[in-house]
Amino acid sequence: MAEPALNEKIQEFEGKQQWWWAAEVKRSKRLDYLRKAVWRKGSTGGAPISPIKLDLEPALRRIELYKQFKQEPLPLRMAKIHSAMWGSDLIYIVDQSQIVGSKTPSPSTEEWYGSGGIGNAAVYNYPEILPEPLEESLKVVHDVGQFWDQEGEAMEKLISGGDPEDMAKYQSGAIAWGSLIGGYSGKNYEYFMTGKRAFEDIIEEIEENIAKAEEKTQGVSGPDILPLYNKILNWEAMKLSLEAGIRWARRYARLARIIAENFETDPKRKEELLRVSETCERVPAKPPRNLQESLQYDHFIQVLARKEQVEGAWPARPDYYHGPYYNKDVNIEKNITKEEALDLIGEFLIRAYDMPVVLAMGKWVREGLQGIAGTWVWTLGGVKQDGSDACNDMTIALMQAARLVRTPNPTFAFRWHPKVKDEVMREIFECIRHGLGYPAMRNDPILIANAMHWHRHPIEEARTWVHQACMSPCPTTKHGTQPYRMASATANCAKIIEYALWNGYDQVVNMQMGPKTGDAREFTEFEQLFQAWVKQMEWLFSLLTRTVNYARYVQSDVVPRPFLSGISQRAVDSGLDIMRPDGERGNAWITAFTWVENPDSLTAIKKVVFDDKKYTMAQLMDALEANWDGYEEMRLDFVNAPKWGNDDDYADDMMLRCLRESARFSRELKDPSGNSWPILPENVSGNIHYSSIVRSLPNGRRQGDALYDGGISPGPGLDKKGPTAVLKSCGKIDHIVDGRAFLLNQRLSPTQLQGEKGYQLWRAYMKTWADLGLDHVQFNMVSDETLRAAQKDPEKYSEVIVRVAGYSAHFVDISRKTQDNIIQRTIQGIG
Amino acid sequence: MTLCIECQSFFPIEDEPGRGDCVKKCVDARQTYYSSRIVSQDNDADRCDSFQKKIIPKEALH
Amino acid sequence: MKCTECGHEASPDKFRYLYNARIDASVSMRQCPNCMEVLAVDELKREALKKVGLGDAPWGKSAGIEGLAEDAVQTT
Repeated sequence: MAEPALNEKIQEFEGKQQWWWAAEVKRSKRLDYLRKAVWRKGSTGGAPISPIKLDLEPALRRIELYKQFKQEPLPLRMAKIHSAMWGSDLIYIVDQSQIVGSKTPSPSTEEWYGSGGIGNAAVYNYPEILPEPLEESLKVVHDVGQFWDQEGEAMEKLISGGDPEDMAKYQSGAIAWGSLIGGYSGKNYEYFMTGKRAFEDIIEEIEENIAKAEEKTQGVSGPDILPLYNKILNWEAMKLSLEAGIRWARRYARLARIIAENFETDPKRKEELLRVSETCERVPAKPPRNLQESLQYDHFIQVLARKEQVEGAWPARPDYYHGPYYNKDVNIEKNITKEEALDLIGEFLIRAYDMPVVLAMGKWVREGLQGIAGTWVWTLGGVKQDGSDACNDMTIALMQAARLVRTPNPTFAFRWHPKVKDEVMREIFECIRHGLGYPAMRNDPILIANAMHWHRHPIEEARTWVHQACMSPCPTTKHGTQPYRMASATANCAKIIEYALWNGYDQVVNMQMGPKTGDAREFTEFEQLFQAWVKQMEWLFSLLTRTVNYARYVQSDVVPRPFLSGISQRAVDSGLDIMRPDGERGNAWITAFTWVENPDSLTAIKKVVFDDKKYTMAQLMDALEANWDGYEEMRLDFVNAPKWGNDDDYADDMMLRCLRESARFSRELKDPSGNSWPILPENVSGNIHYSSIVRSLPNGRRQGDALYDGGISPGPGLDKKGPTAVLKSCGKIDHIVDGRAFLLNQRLSPTQLQGEKGYQLWRAYMKTWADLGLDHVQFNMVSDETLRAAQKDPEKYSEVIVRVAGYSAHFVDISRKTQDNIIQRTIQGIG
Repeated sequence: MTLCIECQSFFPIEDEPGRGDCVKKCVDARQTYYSSRIVSQDNDADRCDSFQKKIIPKEALH
Repeated sequence: MKCTECGHEASPDKFRYLYNARIDASVSMRQCPNCMEVLAVDELKREALKKVGLGDAPWGKSAGIEGLAEDAVQTT
């Protein structure tokens, strides 16, 4: 199509707010091809996506390698197994691609490494993800499961070593969302992403450390040399892993060259392939020299880390670390044009979008992370270590590329500070206006102060922060990086109020879960109920943090991470596996799912039962027992009680009280480094996963209803006083000392926020947000009409993206209940 | 017995004598891609569906 | 309660409760045990209103600027 006709088409689509069709026309042919080539890796409404299949062959290979290396000490065994796997895995290069590297054997399969015990449940329960013939596949799954059951696979070892009651309750599915293995890895980017070193340099450092240690172990005997033996093993394992990573990358170099010399006929594409070959020959062995090498280096490391172990998040700061190479290539040396850079960056986003996690994992992951493989929240903006603005041309280019490729993952979160330029803010707003649901906005000064307050990071280190998962800041420094935080310190907080009402008993899983805090029917004063709530809160948070502390403490003895250790300065310097907390400052947080149900329910009881005395506690308990069925008028009385998010002190004070009790207790809870465990209210789509697991509550919900959409977001439709009231309520929280961070979902009108006027309205809103000291806000900007139409005709609207919670997803990939929950979020008029 | 080294898809690895990359062009419903796996040159290729005998140029025979 | 689609009559609790997307609305979704259709049900009147298809909004529009949120129905 000729350019004027193209522009006309783009304008037509943008006029109708059909951003996805406009993007299809605007992006390059290469990006269009690569974007459409991706087989979606997330779940659809909680079910695996067809036609992605598992490849079972890696599981069989891993068993053979395990047998071969069984006698090796554990760190070496891990490193040798990975080294052999990476050397024998299938690799592939997609036509037209310039960034290469995948975890998967092919574009439409996902590797399965095999497990025993309950880890196999997910694979058995969804036979549609197994390759044909099904009978053979089920036999393989069975045989692999039997093997690991006999050997004792990592998860079972972890669980069997912990406190039995803790483990039983944690595994019940009622109170904790995550796993003891698998979670959120941090990366020590200041060690390996600044251009000062790459794998060969690190290998040299390791070899020096080994040599120094061996000098001692071969010298005069004494107790001080005893720890060195294990350290030497760890160093050897790190070295093996890094060397294996280099060899794996060079397989791509060879493949690109083979394609260029034997298959490709187009001269321009041949040239590109030879450049890919040169790039993969260089990185990750040596530091990058240009933008393509920098992006490739980063991507290789991300893939290798995930080949070593499941990582459910993706901490990254792509504008900060790749920006200097962008500047060199595009602005200074003019090696590539802006458009060529956008092609590379767009593909970089697509490669991340293509990363799988979810297929063989349990229902709790699929339902809690509907539509995506994991929460890849990339951090943009912020300040440098000296406090100056860190935004650069790469910040802008990333957002422009995001609007072209429209992947829901990775999602961006922008570190706003008062010196951010208008140009950058406009790019942010364009992304939001185009319905991407990102960037989320983070208040950098507040969060830097927060990191210093809770985890005592020095200011220069706090300023390096990235999102470790959806929300929690984590430095990228030697002592500040938290290399791993198990997902299991994720609390289904609605159970706190439920257990306070039911004397600690969970009727859904039929267990005495929490402490016995009294029969709520007999409470005569509100304070009795509140104190019961406090006890349940303390019990829940204690149990979850105990399990994570324990898992962290033993992880290096059960499943060490030699590759992650090899790219972490603390491990390379010390010779300890990076999972050991020695020398780590600690960066823990408790993810508080389903939080606002607590203050809203407590407020409703205080108002309707104890202040207005309209009903007794016994009557309330009868109604809750009946799931409000037949008690609709009474239910509406509780619904009409003051609710969070309306700038009403009656309700807001209850929120503050709940948060401050939790903050008080957080300071008593300690992580393996001795640091605190502050809470962080947010949800992903856990509000849907838990909808049938949480009973009816005094805020008016029935068992089966979606819980609120998370963080400190008011219940859908319950914020009735407008957006400023929401901000004012949220502003009453002290976002530095009352918790780790606080997620706020807001929905804006695409009609109201058109044009320059719309941008100015949004800027004014953001000023209020910043002035009130909130740390987070993220936006949906898509109309009811579009979303309802997408429900009716999903194929026509397959590219509509919505902000679910700490992530974005394609609307058609989330369940009907989740869709309705999002549609019911109040559309704030900010004019 | 036919061996992998006799196949068009076999590309010897310079630094790993006796081993090579087995490279295939694949097409699925969304894309074309090239896959590679490392194999030993002496692997039995009799049952390989993708085996295609390498054509050795006349000049190389002399 | 009577199903609007197949006419099956039973007490409301026999119609399987699915969910209510608007906590402050008295309209929920339940499933007829006979024809399995999903129905919008007025929980105050205990009456099935109509079948709910994809894209239907038994609760009406979302709250806010495009229909300012109203309080839930007052009962007293």
